[in-house]
Amino acid sequence: MKRSVLKQAGRWFAVLLLLGFTLLIVGPFLWTFVMSLRPTNDIMENAYGITWPPYVKNYVYAFTEFGFAQYIKNSVYITGVALIVTTVVTAMAAFGFSRTRFAFPLREFLFLTIFISIMFPPQITLLSLYEGVARISRALAKLMPEVEWRFQGSRESMILIYTASALAFNIYILRSFFSQIPQDLEDAARIDGCSDWQMFWRVIFPIGTPAIATTIVINYISFWNEFLYAVTMITKQKARTLPLAMMFFAGEASVDIGMIATGLMVSVIPVLILYLILSEQFIKGMTAGALKG
Amino acid sequence: MSDTTGRSGIDTQAHRRAPRRKKLFRIPWGSIVTFIGPSLFLYFLLIIIPVGMTFYNSVHILRMDLGMRREWVGLEHYAKLLTDDLIFRMAVKNSFIWAIFASVVDIPFALFLALILYSKLPLTRLFRISWFTPMLVSWVVVGFIFRWVYNYDWGVVNTVLRGVGLDAWVRNWLGDPQTALLSLMVITMWKFVGFNMVIFLAALSSIPDELVDAARIDGCNRAQLVFRIVIPLIRSTAVNLLILAFIGKMKQFALVWVSTRGGPMHHTETVATYVQNRAFNWRTLDLGYPSAIAVVWFIVILAFTVLFTRTLQRREVLEF
Repeated sequence: MKRSVLKQAGRWFAVLLLLGFTLLIVGPFLWTFVMSLRPTNDIMENAYGITWPPYVKNYVYAFTEFGFAQYIKNSVYITGVALIVTTVVTAMAAFGFSRTRFAFPLREFLFLTIFISIMFPPQITLLSLYEGVARISRALAKLMPEVEWRFQGSRESMILIYTASALAFNIYILRSFFSQIPQDLEDAARIDGCSDWQMFWRVIFPIGTPAIATTIVINYISFWNEFLYAVTMITKQKARTLPLAMMFFAGEASVDIGMIATGLMVSVIPVLILYLILSEQFIKGMTAGALKG
Repeated sequence: MSDTTGRSGIDTQAHRRAPRRKKLFRIPWGSIVTFIGPSLFLYFLLIIIPVGMTFYNSVHILRMDLGMRREWVGLEHYAKLLTDDLIFRMAVKNSFIWAIFASVVDIPFALFLALILYSKLPLTRLFRISWFTPMLVSWVVVGFIFRWVYNYDWGVVNTVLRGVGLDAWVRNWLGDPQTALLSLMVITMWKFVGFNMVIFLAALSSIPDELVDAARIDGCNRAQLVFRIVIPLIRSTAVNLLILAFIGKMKQFALVWVSTRGGPMHHTETVATYVQNRAFNWRTLDLGYPSAIAVVWFIVILAFTVLFTRTLQRREVLEF
């Protein structure tokens, strides 16, 4: 009897410790959230207090004076379109790389060429992408100076860059999933007169939904939060994505802690809300591919 | 050549001589190009060509501030980089320290947490969901929040230290060359502990109970169970996570850029931030030199990935 009481006590002690650890993990978020609802003067007096009633003026300023609405729009646009393009393009490629019908010499080699890009440090493409876009912009400006080209640092170029960054991972995951879809399914559909195009959209895509949802989750987080390419390629203030805007915003607001906290929350809340609703899907999606050997 | 033409005049053995292979005109090229084409095109345009260009630029001086003027210099950049560049050495050292710390501290710690939860502790679901949240936010947000956490006057760390009387330990965490890198490494640990733990937990859950029971019946105590049975079974997962953590830290850019910019005095400079600084924040905006750095780092990361994969990953499949 004594042993099991001790064991029980041990378990509850462990739970207590882990709860403390949980506080360490989510604490920074909670602190920032509280600070976003306080005027900076209050924060400077006591960084850990609470202001009541909550000071929501920061949030109002964020949208009116600091134009966060525009940055949110940019992030939503870029991430949204990039997600659609990436999903369609990579699913199609995975389809082509996985079904035996489409085997051709060098298919494996081609797949591997795409797959190894997973190991590339981003700098290897970043600098030249910057150079390439700069050169194209200059050429376009020289060719047709009357037209105001929105190419350099444009949101559309970011969409393409993000799609390219996701190719290796998506195609790898989706190909491995698609290749497990039984051939009989495909044969049956063909007997019914399915063309390749219909086969993809009517058969493979619906069946592949779990794996595709997985890639969408991972891509969503990675595109929404992406910083390196954004800070290098986006030069126009109006085209900035949220992470970028956040950095510049904190630079301007510099000691206005309450305001910066608000900005941080604005960046984070869209993702957090989605996460709280779909947490299992997020976790499954973001850990896919790292599980097995 | 033996004549296999039978009495009917038909070559009956032709199928034995020719290799069995799909005839090239039977392959549905139209569909293949339609499906694989777009990805391949984007990949070629936005990955292959830029990589090639980076290699090409690395043997030139490419002055952005002088209208993209190019000048061949051969291996001059590489020579300077490998012999004469102290900042590069520091950046490499920092990146390696970071990567090794992550492998040696982050991963075992996450495994430890997973093992605790593995023993069917209550509130596991709460822990999973809450510990995973750092993965959702961008490094920019993380960087700013932790600048406050590490703030000298009112930050969490120093306030707590002062509160328990450890005033002597109070530091300017991000501004002190001795503690800056360590402070950043704690941040990345914070970010990924949930991720690593969740994966370990899933791996642990895939171990069949019969195995654990059988070991218990054979008289295994707790420690033996963990080290002799459980850990070897999740080895491939652990190796994967190790590689991911190592390579990830070698590429670390955003957190440093937002919190310390590589300071103080390059004590948190990573190769990635150095490339960025060199390309865009230097007196002479030369793209050639940072391209050489990028090429060298590219090779280093590739080499380590191959090294780890070859040495640590076993090909055998454990049947159970």
